[in-house]
Amino acid sequence: VSKRKILPTRAALILTPAAVNRIKLLLQDKPEYIGLKVGVRTRGCNGLTYTLDYTKEKEKSDEEVMQDGVRVIIEKKAQLTLLGTEMDFVESKLSSEFVFNNPNIKGTCGCGESFNI
Amino acid sequence: SKLFNLARTPVLLNTTKVPERSHALLRPLSSSSVPIQDHAPPSDDKVHLTASCVKRLREIMKQGEYLRIHVEGGGCSGFQYMFSVDQTKSDDDKVFEEGGVGIIVDQDSLEFVKGATVDFSQELIRATFQVLKNPQADHGCSCGSSFSVKL
Repeated sequence: VSKRKILPTRAALILTPAAVNRIKLLLQDKPEYIGLKVGVRTRGCNGLTYTLDYTKEKEKSDEEVMQDGVRVIIEKKAQLTLLGTEMDFVESKLSSEFVFNNPNIKGTCGCGESFNI
Repeated sequence: SKLFNLARTPVLLNTTKVPERSHALLRPLSSSSVPIQDHAPPSDDKVHLTASCVKRLREIMKQGEYLRIHVEGGGCSGFQYMFSVDQTKSDDDKVFEEGGVGIIVDQDSLEFVKGATVDFSQELIRATFQVLKNPQADHGCSCGSSFSVKL
């Protein structure tokens, strides 16, 4: 019987500077919202997909991540899935999107939107 | 109860008769070999642009730049759409212009996207170009970047 490893506590979600800037920009003219809420939903060819929404309040069991003055709330159901994920914002001429670099996932769809763990 | 029964029988007779009659009416129609005139509109081999697509292209494209749509094998459903910015067009490219902006589709890719609509969809999580309502696509991936072809 092997000794159970105790993992060091990680931040639930890490934001890249690009993501921080983008979220600041999104929220600057919306004082009624306290931040963004990240969740997962069953959808897509690989099982799960990320959702992103404005949020007005933090529910009891939601995890809150504060980084560089930006607040991101993680939905209760998504906490295990997202643990240790890096949230990035990638912008090009043709598209701009939030990208989640999730260490927990086993596979993704070709488009990168859908994943499984 | 006798009265009730009597009142019921004609109704029953009627209902059994109705399908017979309609069947008789239908038979000559279905067995007729006269071809039904096909009034389908001339094959729609254009690619359409939505207003949001035109608006976005106006913002990002410089003079002489076009959005190129290319279909290639790949993705979870067999085929996928690729978008790029292009300034040159070759002989087998088709250009669809609208409101001062245009998209380029090469002949091979056009076979897979003709009749479809290109949209610029903006959501909180992402903003990107998408191909919508593609009559050639059977079913797509949830993200819309991959699709399978109707056979």
